[in-house]
Amino acid sequence: MRGFPLTLALVAVVIWSGVSADIDLSKLVSSGVRMGDFLSRMYPPNFSVWPEVQKGLLETLRIAILGTLGSVFISTFLGVLAAQTLMPAAVYRPVRSLLALIRSIPLILVAMLMVGAVGLGPLPGILAITFHATGMLAKFYAEAIDDVQPAPVLALDSMGASGLQRLKFGIWPQMAPVILRDTIFRFELNLRESLVLGVVGAGGVGFYIQTYVRSFQYDKAATVAIVIAVLIVLIELINSAIRRKFS
Amino acid sequence: MTTKTRQHPAVTLSSVSHQYSGARQATLDAVSLTIPKRERVALIGPSGAGKSSLLALLDGRLASWTGQASVLGKTVLPGQKLSRAHRADIGFVFQEFALIERASVWQNVLNGRLGRMGTLASLMGRFSVEDERAVTQALEDVDLIDLTERRTDQLSGGQRQRVAIARCLAQEPKLILADEPISNLDPMRAEAVLQLLTSLAAKRDITVIFSSHQPELASKFADRILSLADGKIIVDRPTSELTSLDMRVLYQASEQPQLLRKIG
Repeated sequence: MRGFPLTLALVAVVIWSGVSADIDLSKLVSSGVRMGDFLSRMYPPNFSVWPEVQKGLLETLRIAILGTLGSVFISTFLGVLAAQTLMPAAVYRPVRSLLALIRSIPLILVAMLMVGAVGLGPLPGILAITFHATGMLAKFYAEAIDDVQPAPVLALDSMGASGLQRLKFGIWPQMAPVILRDTIFRFELNLRESLVLGVVGAGGVGFYIQTYVRSFQYDKAATVAIVIAVLIVLIELINSAIRRKFS
Repeated sequence: MTTKTRQHPAVTLSSVSHQYSGARQATLDAVSLTIPKRERVALIGPSGAGKSSLLALLDGRLASWTGQASVLGKTVLPGQKLSRAHRADIGFVFQEFALIERASVWQNVLNGRLGRMGTLASLMGRFSVEDERAVTQALEDVDLIDLTERRTDQLSGGQRQRVAIARCLAQEPKLILADEPISNLDPMRAEAVLQLLTSLAAKRDITVIFSSHQPELASKFADRILSLADGKIIVDRPTSELTSLDMRVLYQASEQPQLLRKIG
């Protein structure tokens, strides 16, 4: 009986969603025909647009590379500030909250704002990726710093190593594999997420999806969709191979 | 007088006291002792008896203590870090090995050379033939020459402590301090590692001070037994002169400090 009010509330919410929004359930029935028509117009995919798609893909790749690079720079700085072992709570706590806030903003929203700020093209895409990726990467870097074991570093100190030697031979070897792995992981996410940036005008192959769908050239849109699907599978394969190497 | 620097003992302590702030009891209570060169000394006592503090003090890593201390003929001052050259002359073997787990055996032992070379040269990876020879020799001595490329985290505890000993030997120290070097190892490996440490030190004329809570094992490989309880030296005797009464005291000292206070 205790769950009864909750059940009632859930049912009410669902009914409210269906009734008050402009949703005509009868449309769902007739949409089967429309969907069939839509799919038939996608087939066969028109591969004549390959040169444009290729251009778009390369632009997406460049956006992901430069966006990752920008994020690596900022994360190096913010990662140090977010490290518990290096900073007082008054510094790392607010920085960590800021990073959580950044992570919570969807990339597509950031991209739209960036397009508004700096105009169409790959630049807002790069800035959006840089901003969005930093939320995760800086947190990873901070964790890599915090996970450094102090004992081996103390041992180097005890045997006469200088400060720079301790950094290079004690701290860096503990951090480097983690940082490399996390950066590659983030690059993969950046590449995947930047595929759709073009939809809001922030450059890359996503632009062509939007163009072809809006102009009803579904056979061309299908080509882009297939290429993107293949690319994502490829990225996934490469990534799992890399992850095996850095475990 | 010309041989004065050669004649100084490895370690001299004169009424050294130390107490952690807030602690009720002193970790070191007016300790005075002299350890001649090439002696192999075992520090026996329960945890908290001051063994670790004493070793940290000799390594220049203990803050706020009183008294006079001299290690390898150079004065050690409270809370003052030793010079790089002085630190390079003192090897330290840790209970938890303190190795770079992700690095290879070779790299870990090569790290032992850092204190002997310029920072710039080491950052550029310019290790000399001399460095590589010292590393190879150390790895041969601890019988790990076949595992040089192995990642350290793939080794057993005994092998890891042997890597740590090799790193210490590559350092070419004049004094080795070892804080509970075998307490993380199973009994058979513990004995082998302790024998390796003390015999290699003897072979190279290195003074060794190691702490342990296993009196029998320790007395097997040391020339001299020092036992600490409540920050005081309660037994100080060459191992050849240890009586069965001494052993009983040592056992009690290493296990039950309260009981010992009753005897004392």
